[in-house]
Order: sequence, then structure tokens, then C-alpha cells
Amino acid sequence: MKESFVFSGSGGQGIMSAGITLAHTAIDMNKHATYLPEYGPEQRGGSAKCTVVISGDKIISPLPKQCDNLIVMNEQAYAKFGEDVRKGGILLLNSSRIKEEVKRDDVTVIAAPVDDIALELGNVKAANIVLLGILIGATDIVSREVLVLSLEEKFKSKKPEILDMNIKALDRGIEIGKKYK
Amino acid sequence: MGEKRFMKGNEAIAEAAVRGGCRFFAGYPITPQNEIPEYLSWRLPEVGGDFVQGESEVASINMVYGAAAMGTRAMTSSSSPGISLKAEGISYLAAAMLPALIVNVSRGGPGLGSIQPAQSDYLQATKALGHGGFHTLVFAPNTVQEAVDIVYESWEYAERDRNPVFVLIDGCLGNIMEEVDLPEMKEIKPEDLPEWCLSRRNGRDWQGNITPIYTEPILEGLNMMAGEMYKQWEEEDVRVEEFMLDDAEYVVIAYGMASRVAKEAVIKLREEGHKLGLIRPITLYPFPKNSIRNLDYSRVKGIIDIEMTIPAQMRDDIELQVMGRCPVYEYGRSGGCLLDDDGVYEAIKEVITGGAE
Repeated sequence: MKESFVFSGSGGQGIMSAGITLAHTAIDMNKHATYLPEYGPEQRGGSAKCTVVISGDKIISPLPKQCDNLIVMNEQAYAKFGEDVRKGGILLLNSSRIKEEVKRDDVTVIAAPVDDIALELGNVKAANIVLLGILIGATDIVSREVLVLSLEEKFKSKKPEILDMNIKALDRGIEIGKKYK
Repeated sequence: MGEKRFMKGNEAIAEAAVRGGCRFFAGYPITPQNEIPEYLSWRLPEVGGDFVQGESEVASINMVYGAAAMGTRAMTSSSSPGISLKAEGISYLAAAMLPALIVNVSRGGPGLGSIQPAQSDYLQATKALGHGGFHTLVFAPNTVQEAVDIVYESWEYAERDRNPVFVLIDGCLGNIMEEVDLPEMKEIKPEDLPEWCLSRRNGRDWQGNITPIYTEPILEGLNMMAGEMYKQWEEEDVRVEEFMLDDAEYVVIAYGMASRVAKEAVIKLREEGHKLGLIRPITLYPFPKNSIRNLDYSRVKGIIDIEMTIPAQMRDDIELQVMGRCPVYEYGRSGGCLLDDDGVYEAIKEVITGGAE
């Protein structure tokens, strides 16, 4: 089965990092994955988007028109990509920043205040890891254990508290995601 | 084989170049290829090579000329407008019969264009990379793995021919991360220096002459030799992927990233019962003429050219082989807007169910 994910928001929100972490974790689980970043010419801020495709088989096209799971971190990204999730897919919104009402009723909408959750845990930068947790809780696309190994690798040069906070962020996300399974 | 990694296309190309023997890079920054010089800036010194960020594209390509003249495996990379700036130097490399690798990670055009991916440099790459009527082998891989394999062996072709080798990918392939098996590091021995080069390493006392300028009738003779070489390429170096052509009534033709989106559509439409096939040129020059010329046109009802550029640029090369035996259709996106699965599927479906122009 081929499953696609689009992460969107603005530069600095951990969009690319979330995509790479998910793709890496899938590869570590012996699945196939592609990760394609797209960004504007801005050095800071600006729009950020990446597409991750995960499959048990070799991936032919990494360019789906509509994805199965759309993750949106702010209102600009929602306005731009809100329609790019297929019917029956998951639309995951950062409700800390997106106050707009979701008009689509043909997708599973998960609105979670991931910025607030991450802030509460100590750093808003962990919001993207809360998102990954929600995806894992809702879809089983990769296992928590292997993702934790990816996080350990990612944060190995940082203080151990940072890894702990990210694992907490992941678990908070998983709890939320499970409700939508 | 070597080692499996999850790598970005640009970085994988840079690593494959080093493993293929590259020991000199000069270039000037431009999106979407910056990871190639960024990577080589630390990687080349590790293996005793040299990295230079030149003051311009023109300076960089001429540094490549100098390094190649000394027998060093040298390369440069850039993106569309930067390749135009290097055009003079590429022509000089061809004139001086110097091997080198040039990589274009192309973006939208014309002009400064967009920083997003596009396939708008087909004509430049295959017809006139610079003035003076020369050609290079032009490879267009469609996966990070294929790009690695081609870059890894590019100097074998370049040194065989004493001619630059050109690799054309779009920004998508440059920036996508995929799994890749990296080949082993080639051992380049000092005594492997080509006979014609200017290096006086290893006590060589022969001093040749490398020049991009000739008088008549020498130049005509060199033009003839080049012409013979291009003919030889047509016989020996064409690379093409042919997919499900045996009973195909419609044939899709696409290269690079576009071919992956096209193949996905071909597979889906096959499942729906449509008799479709795909031809994917891997070498854009020499172009896989025979694959198209020798199709059974009593069965093939149409050819669909899919490219990430508008208007399609490969179309003329296709039409020259079809010779009016069936209609040729085209579909594309351009200017940094990417092809996508649904768009290509719908476009092909429109052609095969009638109605498309």
C-alpha cells in the first residue's frame, strides 16, 4: 500500500524535519520512502511544504496530486493546500494557529493545538513531533519504537532533556491520534 | 555493492562523483543544485581533491578546463541560467577535447526563471550546449540511484571520448530523498594519467598542447572526427527503458522525473484495460530513435509526449521518428508547477478515449 503525506506551513515550523523523520523511520522499518521538499526563495519564513510517500513496494511516482494525509501548520498553508487531501483522507490542523472553520466534510479532521502542547512541554519547536505522534496514533504508518530510535539519532548531539521532551511530545500526539483511529 | 543510504539527489550525485574519481570541482551557487557544491566543499578535501567556489560561472567552467587539461577528473554543476553562462566554456572543453562532467539541475525558464523544478533545458542540452555545433553524451536519470550510477561512470565515457559528459536532471530529482546503494570508491592511480594531458607528475616529461583554437584545415578534420564519434554513440551508447510496448496502442514518451509520473499513469490505465506502453529515453543524446521508429504503426494509434515544460521540447525528435505514421500529442506543466499523478492520468486518458488535440 502506498500512503502519501504532505506537511505544510512556514519556514521554521519544523515541516521539513517532520517529513524527513517520518521518511527515515519508514526506511528503518524496511519500507520504501521518498521525501520531496518544496520551498520559496525566502531565506527565513516563507512557505514550506514537503511530500513524503511511503510504500511496501518500490515507489514509482513521488508526485501525488492529492495526498492521503495533509498536515497543516498555519492559516496560509491551509488556504493554499486545504483541498489537496483526498476524500476519505486525514486533514491534521494546528489549531493553535488555524482558527478558521474546516469546510470539508469528506475527510477526517483532526484539529489539535500542537503549538500549545509543545509550549507546555517546554519548547514550541517540538510541535512537529506532536504532529508525528498524532499521525502514528491515527494511522500506524510507522511504529513508535522505531521513530524513537530516529529521534535518538537526530538529537544525539543535544542535551538528553531535549530528547526526553521530544519523546513526551510524541506520546502526547499518539494519545490524541488514537482517538481518531 | 557499497552501502545503502537515504540521500538527497544532489548529495548522492556529489558522493558518486567523488567515488567515481572526481578530484576537482569549481562552481558558483544557484538553487536548486546548491547541495552539490556544499557537499563537495568538505568532501573533496577529505580525499585530497580540490573545491573552488569560483567568482562566477564563467570562471568556474574555465577552472574545470584547466584541471581537466592536467588529467584530473573534474566537474562543475549549475542550474539552467548558470549553464547558459557556462556555455562558452563547455564549447571550449569540446574543442580542446577535454573530459569533464557537467551537471544541470534544471529549473523553470527562460531568463532567471523560477527556482522550482522544470525540464525546460532539453533543447539546450541536446542541440546546442554552446556555439560551434558540438555534442556531448546527455544522460537523464529518473531516480537518485540511476543518477548515482551514471555519474559514477561518467569519466569513463568522458575519457574514452575526450569529450565532456552532460547529466540533465530537474530540481525535483536534485532535491528528492530516496534510498540509494552507493558504489565503492574507485582507486585512481597516479600512473593512470591520460597520455595527452599536460601534467608533469610522476616524472612525465612529455608536454603536449591543449587548445580550443585551430587553423584550417585542421579544424575541419576535427569536426569530421567528432561527427564520426557521434555516429558511434548512436550505435553503442543509446540507453532507453521500454515498458509494456508489445501490444501497446498508445505509447507515452517521457524522461527524467516526468517519466515516473507517466509510468504510474500507464500502470493505472493498464489496470483499467487500456493498452498503453512507455518509452523512457535515458540518453537524450544520442536519442533512442529506433525505439520510436520501429514501433508497429499498424497497431500504435498515438504517441503522447509528457514533459515538465511548455511547449514540449522533445516533440521534434519524436516526430522525426514517427514520420507522420500516427498523431503525436503533448501534455506538460512548466515554470515550476510540477506534473502530478492525477494531471498526467487525466491527460493520457483524454487522448486515448478521444477528444484531445
